[in-house]
Amino acid sequence: MHDIQYYLLKKRAFSGFISRLAKVQPLAAPVRRGEKNYAFELVTSANEISLPYIPTILPPKKYFFPQREVLLEFDTRRGLHAGPVGVAGPMTIFGVHTCDLAGIQCLNMVFSVRPRDHNYLIRKRKITIIGLECNDYCDEHANCALVNASLPSGGYDLFFTDLGDYFIVHVNTQAGDDIIDAVKQFQPAKEANLQDLAALRERKRVVFRNEVALDQRFLPALFDISFDGPVWKDLDERCLACGNCTQVCPTCYCFDIRDELNLDMATGVRYRVWDSCQTEPFAKVAGGENFRKSRLARQRHRYYRKFSYPFAKFFRFFCTGCGRCSRACMAGIKLKETLTSLISQGGEGPWKR
Amino acid sequence: MKRPKTAFFDFACCEGCQLQVANMGDTLLEVMGLIDLVEFREVMSEKWDGDLDIAVIEGSITDLHATERIKAIRKRSKVLIAYGSCATIGGVNGMKNSFDLDEVGDCVYGEGRWFFPTEQTRAIHQVVPVEYAVNGCPVYIPEFLSVLTAALQGIPYAVPDYAVCIECRMNENECLYDRGITCLGPVTRAGCNSWCVNNGNLCYGCRGMVSSPYVKGMKQVLEKHHVPIDFVVNKMDMYNKCRELDRNGR
Amino acid sequence: MEKIVISESNYQIRKARIVRTKKLTPLETLFEIVLDGDRSLDHEPGQFIMVSLFGIGEAPISVASSPTMRDSFEICVRAVGRVTKALHALDAGDEIGIRGPYGKGFPIRIFEGNDLLIVAGGLGIAPLRSLIQYVLDNRRDFGKAHLLLGCKTPQDILFADELDQWRRRMDVQSEYIVDRAEQDWTGPVGLITTLIPGVHLEPERTFGVVVGPPVMYKFVIKELLAKNIPEHQIILSFERHMKCGMGKCGRCQIQNIYTCQDGPVFRYSAVKHMSEAF
Repeated sequence: MHDIQYYLLKKRAFSGFISRLAKVQPLAAPVRRGEKNYAFELVTSANEISLPYIPTILPPKKYFFPQREVLLEFDTRRGLHAGPVGVAGPMTIFGVHTCDLAGIQCLNMVFSVRPRDHNYLIRKRKITIIGLECNDYCDEHANCALVNASLPSGGYDLFFTDLGDYFIVHVNTQAGDDIIDAVKQFQPAKEANLQDLAALRERKRVVFRNEVALDQRFLPALFDISFDGPVWKDLDERCLACGNCTQVCPTCYCFDIRDELNLDMATGVRYRVWDSCQTEPFAKVAGGENFRKSRLARQRHRYYRKFSYPFAKFFRFFCTGCGRCSRACMAGIKLKETLTSLISQGGEGPWKR
Repeated sequence: MKRPKTAFFDFACCEGCQLQVANMGDTLLEVMGLIDLVEFREVMSEKWDGDLDIAVIEGSITDLHATERIKAIRKRSKVLIAYGSCATIGGVNGMKNSFDLDEVGDCVYGEGRWFFPTEQTRAIHQVVPVEYAVNGCPVYIPEFLSVLTAALQGIPYAVPDYAVCIECRMNENECLYDRGITCLGPVTRAGCNSWCVNNGNLCYGCRGMVSSPYVKGMKQVLEKHHVPIDFVVNKMDMYNKCRELDRNGR
Repeated sequence: MEKIVISESNYQIRKARIVRTKKLTPLETLFEIVLDGDRSLDHEPGQFIMVSLFGIGEAPISVASSPTMRDSFEICVRAVGRVTKALHALDAGDEIGIRGPYGKGFPIRIFEGNDLLIVAGGLGIAPLRSLIQYVLDNRRDFGKAHLLLGCKTPQDILFADELDQWRRRMDVQSEYIVDRAEQDWTGPVGLITTLIPGVHLEPERTFGVVVGPPVMYKFVIKELLAKNIPEHQIILSFERHMKCGMGKCGRCQIQNIYTCQDGPVFRYSAVKHMSEAF
């Protein structure tokens, strides 16, 4: 074991680093998508990567829990035969922001609850994560400070921070250290570099201030008293139930399971595909009753699944502050505004500053 | 397994959906292995007037002659599949319903219009019962195949009752509203895998609307984007005009 | 690209074979099923399984037989969706896939030594039959057993022959009621709630076990509370749509609980404040 935890990567060496990294195993990184957006895509060279970037359309969740994932391959000509499924192999994701690291940490918890989801956990073990610090806010939709996701707190193998003409790189795991060894573009950080990093973090503590006028530890209590609050009625008036908010969320994990039969009428696949609690049929049962029929109940459910239910179960918020739901909402429903309304409608309580 | 006797028929339409099927390539050969094709005007010259296991219907019903013909087909078919927007939701033919029928006749046939009596456009299910629907203009072949296999298995096929946005985001397309383009994805039924947007187009609503579209909310969104309401109503009516016959009829 | 093989998927099915079918009504059929290798399903009364037909899909279905029947188990299926309709086309000898059992069943250990008032509405008799059979097979372990059953019409009554057997037993009291009936029905007509006031029970040692269509719960619970049965002794089983059965897919979520893992059986006291539960 060698105990160096911080390395430097000069900016001029970045291009070489990416090219070599992409040769080790497939590499995904943020790439420009359309006029205003970004997406994680497989890359082979640094000039494909777009930095800095605002959160990608879909979070890197898609590599851990793909939009569509085959669960079984069946062949009914062989009785009830269902064979094991091959999935994409090891890969590296470069440039994961702290909000998305938090999202992956949330999903790790969910899929580790028994019965464990082996499909997720096997993929997860094969993915190397390289984080990337946000020196400033991406845009006005983010609320990462509220949920303590503006500073790194684990969940990565390597973590990059841009300090002008170089990146300082925190090595968090052996897998990260193996990259340092394999790519050979790094040099150990000096005391001055660590001071630069400390200075940036100090500056960030000033820039990233809680975006909502509420101490986050009071959020669960606020949600406890707000189930019948008027804010949900307001969302009901606006929400189109298009499902964009849940599809882009780094911690949403609802899915449907479907069969696809080939034209031989015997072979096919059973797959799972992302689903959304915002769609009308989601909570409908065979008899026709719908237990979250109104858009009100569906939007409320979404918020409770971020700030209330997971807190009781995992002692953690399932909002990472990435701002995607606000950015993607057709109807302009903004998470920060919803929370602000909750506070003002919450009456007297510790949440009132 | 005995291959079910299957025929393709067309009513008021562009026959583009039949073309989609005819153009499936190797897949068409696989399909031919599953069914006993007895009539399909675009690919063969044989006709069939006997009983059918499956009748696949393209086009909408726009005159008395068509009404009688579809009723007769229904009578001799065990299963009816409406495919393509014209058949499933009335489609572009429905735009006729925005006008007075005499005016429409005049415009198209002039003096001769009395030889061509016309009726309000109706989707197939607005005239006879339909077991399966494959939406789209044209149909999305993967969905057509899903419906066909469901029909062969004798089980229902449920068209997704949620917005195209769900599939569009999964395909990680940039939202067209981010580029200032009006798209009907938020109120249109999914199932097409956001085929149009994936290929640089926008959603025209050809698959019909979700079962309870939030019209007021959609108007608010369009106002926010400074889109005139008339423009959007026209846009929605382009495929969905016949929808009002469902609402009145039910 | 290198591939990883996922060979231990939770979604792998266990092979099973239908050994007997019995049409109960035009919509409902009872299937007796044997697991491959003649293994026992080893379920608790009130648990459910995922029934799997490749190329069609999966559906959650409660086990309708008692675990005391070890060589096989039964499910009662109403043909309403893709899977359930396709199941109805199957016959003895056909193979199906099974996952599970899943969920928390009825709290049998807590029922022991106490009285039971079992209230079944419509298809709710299916999961309750697993409990009733279990109680009858271990009759002396339980106190008084009272069964109330409600259906839309006499033609909708499920397990009519078994009901007759239960009716003839001296250690079970049972009453049946239908919403509406033709002349040849001699029993009572009306809602199941009207039967509850007439039941003689000791509320402190009685568990009310209720399974039926969603609309029934509110009214039956009200009557049970009027009989002074404590809220934590009212036991319900909820029907929800489920895809995974493992507390992940989100379909069956009622506020902060997953019906598939935390339920489907709940105490009324635990869910009474949840508006999404009823």
